[in-house]
Formats: sequence, structure tokens, C-alpha cells
Amino acid sequence: MTGYASPFCMPFLETRKMKRTGFCQAFLGGGALAALVPVVNMAVRAETFTSQPGSPFRILMEANWQLMAQLNIFLLVCGACLLYHTEYADNAIQKAQSLPLRPSGLFLGKLGILLTACLIPLCLETASLTLCCMHWFPDRPGESLRILTGMAFAFAMLLPTGAAMLLLSSMCRNMWISLGAGVILVFFASMLTTSLSSIGGALALVPFCGPYRMLHELPDREAALWTACLCLGEVVLLCAAERVYQSIRRCFA
Amino acid sequence: MKTEFRPLNLFSLFGVELLKIRRSKIFWILLIPAVMMWLPSAMNANVNFIGAYDISPEHNYFIQGYMGMAWFMIPATLIVCTVLMHQTESSGRGLVKCLSQPVSAWKICLAKFLVAVFLTAVQLVLSIVAYYGSAMLASRLYDYDFVLPFPYVCRVASLIYAAVIPAAAVYWMIGVLIRIPIFSVGLGLASIVPSVLMLNTKMWYCYPFDYPFYMLMTEYGKLVPELFSTKAALIPMVPIGIGTTLLCLAVACSRYGAVERNFDSL
Repeated sequence: MTGYASPFCMPFLETRKMKRTGFCQAFLGGGALAALVPVVNMAVRAETFTSQPGSPFRILMEANWQLMAQLNIFLLVCGACLLYHTEYADNAIQKAQSLPLRPSGLFLGKLGILLTACLIPLCLETASLTLCCMHWFPDRPGESLRILTGMAFAFAMLLPTGAAMLLLSSMCRNMWISLGAGVILVFFASMLTTSLSSIGGALALVPFCGPYRMLHELPDREAALWTACLCLGEVVLLCAAERVYQSIRRCFA
Repeated sequence: MKTEFRPLNLFSLFGVELLKIRRSKIFWILLIPAVMMWLPSAMNANVNFIGAYDISPEHNYFIQGYMGMAWFMIPATLIVCTVLMHQTESSGRGLVKCLSQPVSAWKICLAKFLVAVFLTAVQLVLSIVAYYGSAMLASRLYDYDFVLPFPYVCRVASLIYAAVIPAAAVYWMIGVLIRIPIFSVGLGLASIVPSVLMLNTKMWYCYPFDYPFYMLMTEYGKLVPELFSTKAALIPMVPIGIGTTLLCLAVACSRYGAVERNFDSL
């Protein structure tokens, strides 16, 4: 083994750090909870939904996505707080800074983990939505492609929220401040989505508001693609913001 | 001089816990939602003139403003407060040092819980102050008196905040039992999400997290009888609430510091 640390190894270093933090279990549990939402909703009042015309995926999303998206956002908030809490808890970040590694690599590694971990709840939700479609709407087949595109769009919408929350938690030494700020932001985002639903599409770009958006709310395919690309751009911007923040902090440290 | 050994009582421990969090910046986390929630509603106060129900605009303004607070912000701040109260001890092995002092662990645990409840009470006061500020601003902006009498506002707001105590005890117990922060916080946040759904079921009183929202909705029901029940069903709620609080506090107090007391884990 060589002493040279390649920046590409960073995600694997970070994955080792979260060994006993319960990060994966929390995402699995939260994802399972979110995946239960449509199943329970359909089991309790199936007639209300099966009597509606149109695409089953759209019916399910309109009935349940508000709750599921909120659970996803909560997971991101908790996950981001935890990823930096492990660094700040016993001043581990000082030791990490003394290693021959770039400080921005730390952020990028954690961002990679957080955004990959988003796939866990989304996959579980996709599976449960597909099962709901198959079980309660057997007469309307051909939904699988629509579900896949819809959930891919939902994944793109989650990315800026994750990056913004991670940026926030990298700034706060104490977990309750990042958690409190995250909770306050989630609260205002849920207020914004209800009061400003008329502007729709643009709201998808605001972190913490975006995950509530659904694919069928956008006018056409092109708009959806543009929104997803802009979300990716936002993630890059937030990474740049972290870089700037780190240089500023180094100046004042 | 002969020094006499006097064990610290609960009240002085409460003061000690308050001292520990004096640099925690928790005040801003309590203040910002209270203020920022009322500012937009003051700006959009004219929507209260075109309500669907037969309710006066000033009452509608008050109820709608507290709605987001009751179902989301109050439990969420409580979760943040419990995290804060646990973190002051778990960092730097503070609890081990505490246990080596002649103080019983259950008293520390209870004092910490009381501080978390006290922080909620601080938020209650802040939200009432912010309500009056925003109601006066809205009255100035729209030339209509939005200000409600002080005893009414205090009664409703205090009822909402008093109803959150069972949920606070549950959060505190979760925080004591589950030492991995992501699980305790995640469980707490996940419990907020279905509270509105649970309120609409027949078994709402089995779910302590929806009590604050229930109190607000019964106040709404008193003003708009066709919307919700006009009288709070105190009989299943108060005994269950008190029972939950006592049980959770008992479990939390008996398990507090259990890991630190176990020599092998240090």
C-alpha cells in the first residue's frame, strides 16, 4: 500500500467511518416507513382511489407523495446531521484536517454517500408503488416506465436538498444547531409549497421545496429535463460554496 | 469550618442545567420560527376576509397562524431541545463525571427533562409576543383590528403547549433509551408526519403526538361548529396523557446513565 491518498478513495474512507452510526439502518427503516404509506392508504380506503380515472401512478402520487416526500426530507436532514456529527463529536475533524487529504474531499465523500443513500428509500418506495399499482389497479397495465421516470425525477429533486443540508451541517459544530436549522427550513418549505403553489415549476429548484414536486405537475418532458439539469447544477454550486466556506474558515481559524 | 454534605435538590439541578446551555444558541432556534411564522401571515392577512366558513377574520388569523406551529414546529423544537440536553452530557464524557458526583442520576434526568419543557414554555411566550406584534402590524396594514384579547390568546396558546408534554416525555424516553442520535431523532421526526392523519381516526387519543393539534382544532371547532368537535374530549385524553408522561419519565429515569454505569463499556 502506498502513502498516496487518491481523492477517488475518499468515498470508501467515508463509508468506513459510518460503520456503527446506524446510517444505513436509518435509511432502510425510514424508506420502509415511507414505502408503507401508499400501501396503508390503499388498504384503508381503496374505493376512493380505484374509482378515480387516469393513470394509477398519478393517483397514488397525488394521494401519498406529500407524506413520502416529507419522510425523505427528514431522512436527509438526519443523515446530513449525523455525517458531520461523527466528525465534530470528539474533535475528529481536527485529526482529519491534519491528514494529507483535501478538506473539500471530506465534503465530497460525504455528499456522495448521502446522495447514494437517497436511492435506498427511493427504491423501496418504487417497489411499493409498483406493487400497489399491480394489486389495486390490475386493469390498467403499462405503468412501470411511468413509475421509473417519476421516481428518477424525484431522485433529481432530492439532490439539492441533500447538498444544502450537508453544507449547513458542515458549518455547525453542534448537532442541535444544524438539526434545528434544518427543521426550521423544512417547516418554511412546507409553508412555501402550500402558499406559493401557483408558481409550481420554479419552486422545484428551491432546496427543501423541490422534493414535494411531482413529474406530472410539470408541463412537458423538456421542462422536466431542464429542472433535473438545473438541480444537478445547484449541487455543483453548493459544492463550490462549501469550498469557498472552507477557505474563509481557514483564514479566520 | 465544618462543611456539611447537602445533596443537590431538583431545583438547583434545574439551575445547573440552565447554566450548561447558556452558550448553546438554542434561543435563536426558538425565536426564529416564532417570528418568521407570523411575518408572512401578517403580510397576507387579507386572505382572512374571504374565508369559506362563518368565522371572524381576527379569529381565523389567530387559528391559521398557530396551525403550522401546532402540528409541526412545537414537536420539532422539542426534538431539537432533547438532542441539546443529551449532547451537553454525552460530549466529553460529561455523564461519567456527573455520576461520580453525589447526585442521583434520576434527578439529573428529570432536571434535564424539565429544562426541555421550560424551553418549550419560552417558545410559548415568544410565540404569543410574536403574535401580538404581527397582529398589530396586520391591523396597521389592512385597517382592521386583528388583535384578540390577551386572556383568550394566552389560554389557547397555553393549552396547545400544555398538550405537548406527553409527547415531550416520549421523546425524552426515546432519547435516553436509544443512544445513537440518528435513530432517536429520526423516530421523533417520523412520529410527527402521520399526526394529522391520526387525528382524523377514532383512536386519536392513543397517539400523544397529535394532542397539541387536537387542542387547536377544538378551539377551531368552537368557532366553526361544522368543522370539528366543539368540545375537547378530556376523558380519554388527560388520563392517557398523564399515564404516558409518568410511564415514560419512569422508564427514562431508571435507564438514565445505564451504559455509563456499566464498567465494561468505558
